[in-house]
Amino acid sequence: MLSVKNIHTFIGQFHILEGVSLEVPRGTITALLGRNGAGKTTTLKSILGLTPPTSGEILFDGRSLNGRRSYDIASLGIGYVPEHRAIFRDLSVAENLKIAERKRGDLARKETLIFDLFPDLKRLIHLSGTNLSGGQQQMLAVARALVPDNDLLLIDEPSEGLAPVIIEQMMIAIKALSAETTVLLVEQNFIVATQLAEYYVIIDEGRSVQSGRMADLVDDQETIQKYLGAA
Amino acid sequence: MTFDRLKKNRTRLITLAILTVLFVTASRGMPADDWALTVLRGLSVGMITFLVAAGLSLIFGLMDVLNLAHGELFMIGAYVGWTVYVRPDTVVDLLTPICLVAVGLALLPLLEPTVDRWQKQLTGRLPQVWPWLTMTLGAGGVVWLFGRYPLSIWHPEEFSQSPGTFALAVDQGTLQVVPAESTGLIVVLGFLLAGFVLAAGIAGWRRLGTAPLSHSGLPRGAVMAGVLLLLVAAVCWLANDSLSNWLLNMNTTGRFFLAMGAATGAGVLLGGFVETTLIRPLYDRPIYQLMLTLGLSFIGIELVRAVWGRPEFTMPKAALFNGRGDGCPAESFADLLANQCATMSLFGARIRTYNEIFIIVVGLVVLIAVWILLQRTRLGMIIRAGVQDSEMVEALGINVRRVFTQVFALGVGLAALGGVLAAPSIGLSNDMGTRLLLLALIALAIGGLTSFPGAAAGAILVGLLQQFMIKYGQIGIPLPFLAEPFKPSPPLVPASAVLLMVVILLVLPQGLFGRNE
Repeated sequence: MLSVKNIHTFIGQFHILEGVSLEVPRGTITALLGRNGAGKTTTLKSILGLTPPTSGEILFDGRSLNGRRSYDIASLGIGYVPEHRAIFRDLSVAENLKIAERKRGDLARKETLIFDLFPDLKRLIHLSGTNLSGGQQQMLAVARALVPDNDLLLIDEPSEGLAPVIIEQMMIAIKALSAETTVLLVEQNFIVATQLAEYYVIIDEGRSVQSGRMADLVDDQETIQKYLGAA
Repeated sequence: MTFDRLKKNRTRLITLAILTVLFVTASRGMPADDWALTVLRGLSVGMITFLVAAGLSLIFGLMDVLNLAHGELFMIGAYVGWTVYVRPDTVVDLLTPICLVAVGLALLPLLEPTVDRWQKQLTGRLPQVWPWLTMTLGAGGVVWLFGRYPLSIWHPEEFSQSPGTFALAVDQGTLQVVPAESTGLIVVLGFLLAGFVLAAGIAGWRRLGTAPLSHSGLPRGAVMAGVLLLLVAAVCWLANDSLSNWLLNMNTTGRFFLAMGAATGAGVLLGGFVETTLIRPLYDRPIYQLMLTLGLSFIGIELVRAVWGRPEFTMPKAALFNGRGDGCPAESFADLLANQCATMSLFGARIRTYNEIFIIVVGLVVLIAVWILLQRTRLGMIIRAGVQDSEMVEALGINVRRVFTQVFALGVGLAALGGVLAAPSIGLSNDMGTRLLLLALIALAIGGLTSFPGAAAGAILVGLLQQFMIKYGQIGIPLPFLAEPFKPSPPLVPASAVLLMVVILLVLPQGLFGRNE
């Protein structure tokens, strides 16, 4: 579905990614693991062309994403849930969903799916983006990525700063939506990652160092200690 | 909930309350007719300022570009409107060459793949050199042909001596027009060719050092624009005389509305052109961008001097706002419309229809229209979202660059509309833009930089304050500890706007409607 081949990305003069390769098989959840500052978020942004890689290749559904502008890449069917949610404060919840439409009527078609996953949002629909709690913002950010027909979701730190109850709810939602789309997930919370993802890729100091099945990683204490620093 | 919001906006509410109290106090020191006149004048100046400030705030909010050339674009709107109003025959003459050159530029996307394929086969320094040579050749060709292209004679002096002269000449049928001689087909085709040569050069320059173009569908928009331009050029060339005569015999009201439309349209096109060619390459370099827009403002002034020559003009008011016959000054709005009076009586004051009523009405219409655009349309939703985070908007699959161009074009169009609207009231001069830009920037700072209602409120506040200062300069403010009433001197008028800004920013650093970040 998505394959990233040895990409290098600079932000300003900083060489952030120094060779990241990964494969995301269709219909799975793949977790991108690594320490803070390892380059996980930059990898997602490079896939979307927000920080375009200077070398290497990214293929999505067999099509090269190199040289394409971000809106063009997203329009191929990639949804993005950024690290700090990026909810539009001046827009109501309904507008925050509406703006993600790529075709007229996208939202109407997906309404049932979205409100089944996040019943809270239905209640908040007329509220402005300013007045949402962190958990509500996170739900809205995921819901927004579900509005158009996306084949791949890039989700950055969905559990960050949320209460355990809300994390539980997010996990159920992400698990449920993986039945419909493929997910590439960045997750600091190792427990959450192990429960959600089927595959993993570890990034360390801008390089992808290891990948495989999540079930194998859980038992590999040595690798966990070396790259993630915690169990 | 409501209480929380009140508490959060406490400073803002207190500021607004103090402003209202000041406003009411200011009105008690003068007779009702003076007060009505001053308020209307303030609103009128405020609306003109708003038309400039609105574009500035939209552009600054969405793309972080402080467009210092905005005042000059306002001025160009005024001059374009004046030309359409006073010399429509010259405009018709000019449209043919301009549209013909633009055909080539519009078809640039069509040319690019061919030029690209051709350029990739060149070797040595040739790929770097030929685009510049071709562009020079094209531009030189346009200039050379222009010298051979006859225009209706350009005598702005005739009409600018007195505001009434032109309208009178039209009414009495004594307007003398010296028609241009007809043009040879060779010259006309020459413009078309020069446009294509110019476009080929630009295409070569744009493709320089880039990867070969892979996909090449037919750019439908470009082809349509090209055909449309060609059509306009053909009509203006073939039916030149009848078109000129029709426009010259139109009454001044019709022509004034035409001028408003033409100035706005010219502003939109100019804005789109400036954004795509000059601003776009510099989004990552804000300082360069600021220098660019500052430079553009100087170029704008010199351009106007070069084309229109004389430093100052007046623009006669259209017949709709200039009636002086029976039933004038009008006693009611119905009379005003029926007799097309130049003035009307309101609260015992003599109010000029154009300056104090029409400008305010147009300003309000634009205010409401842009508000609806922002709140009720998809484009508006994208703009509001983009003001906060344009990267996220792009990541949703929306072509933000195209929205940037649209907003820039819209902003410049509004400024140009402001220019043509202000022209009959304040006249045309080279520095009209610079003065207004300053007012608009102050209004923006007061309102909170990126907020649209803030720009409107700031502009109206600045307008009202200045007019009250002018009025009090005449009648004086009686102060308890002074024997003589205090009369603000004329230099205090612009200073008062700056002072208001300073006070408001001290209390509310983010402006009246700005966000607490």
